[in-house]
This record gives sequence, C-alpha cells and structure tokens, in this order.
Amino acid sequence: MNALFGNLTHFGALLFFALVVSLTFAFLSKRGVADRVKYTLWAFLAFLLVAIGIGWLMYPFSQ
Amino acid sequence: MSKRATSMDETMNREAVKGNKIMGIVAALAGWVVPGLGHLVLRRWSKAAVYFLCVGGLACAGLAMRGGVFSAGAQDLFDRLGFFADLGAGAFYFLAHQIQTAGPDVAHATGDYGTRLFAAAGMLNFLTVLEAFDIGRGGEAR
Repeated sequence: MNALFGNLTHFGALLFFALVVSLTFAFLSKRGVADRVKYTLWAFLAFLLVAIGIGWLMYPFSQ
Repeated sequence: MSKRATSMDETMNREAVKGNKIMGIVAALAGWVVPGLGHLVLRRWSKAAVYFLCVGGLACAGLAMRGGVFSAGAQDLFDRLGFFADLGAGAFYFLAHQIQTAGPDVAHATGDYGTRLFAAAGMLNFLTVLEAFDIGRGGEAR
C-alpha cells in the first residue's frame, strides 16, 4: 500500500480522488448501470477540468 | 435490459428488507462503523461493495501518504472540523494508528494531500450513511 500511494504526485492524488468520489456520487445519485457510468465519466472530467482551470487561474500569484 | 434487471433487483431488495425507523438507525450505525456495511445489511450488494472500496481506498491512500489524523482534543475550529470529517471514516479512523505504522508526516506535500484524502473519505462515508438511513427507514433512495 505504501509503495502504491506513498510516492503519489499531486496530480496522481487528484486523479485518484476524482475517480473515487465520482464513482461514489454516481452510486448515490443514479440508478442503472448506463446512467452510473455516464455520471462517473462526467463528474470525473468535471473534477479534472475545474482543478486544472483553478490551477491556471492561480498560476500568476505563484510568481 | 440492464436497467430492467437493476430495477427488478431493487424491487426484490425492498421486499426482502422491510423499512422502518429502527432498521434505518441500525443501517446507519453499521454503515458508519464499517463503510458499506449498512447497505450490506439492507441487501444492496453492489452499493455496499463500491462504498467499502471507495471510502476504504481513500482512507488507506490518505494514511499511506502519511496524512495526519485529527484527534478529539483539538483546540481550534479547523482541527475540530477535521476531527469531525475524519470520524466519518468509522473503523478506518479508529484503526488509523495500526494502519499507519510510520506515523503522519505533514511537513511534506504528500502528507498534506493524505490528510485531505482521509478527511474526504470520512465526509464521503457520512453521505453513504445518510443514504443507508433513508433506505432503511423505507425512503425512496436510488
């Protein structure tokens, strides 16, 4: 377990978090396999898009 | 076909487990102690497996990344909120020191991410606990 997660990068942690939370939200809010798969993909991509977008918005303040 | 099969399964589940307030409380408590156990009690097999793997995976990842776990005697508001979030992980919170033998290391970024992942696992489990309560009392959870 330490070998798997111990050296996870910030982006790797983001991918893992986005996938797991999207999957849980899909099971909480949707019924049926097709709806759950669609929702998982949609939420996963939304998490990535928003995180990368906010990252770019904050970039000038890090200089 | 799959939608029909899913709805048939859920109809059978509803017939198998009669909803009432006591069942809701039992399912909620079980789901808090072990993520997914509340849904297992209610015979929601797939939800139980997914919730256990997702909440457990997040919690274990947080601990493996040497994230911090907030304790009950926290002084400031942020730490108290962190304690509340962590407590949601149930057994993973109480076994955190056994799982994380090396102890927390929040001086590095990885440890800080781990702290957030563990808190997220707790909050996610609170949502599944609410759903287990709703299904248990005979509500119309999905």
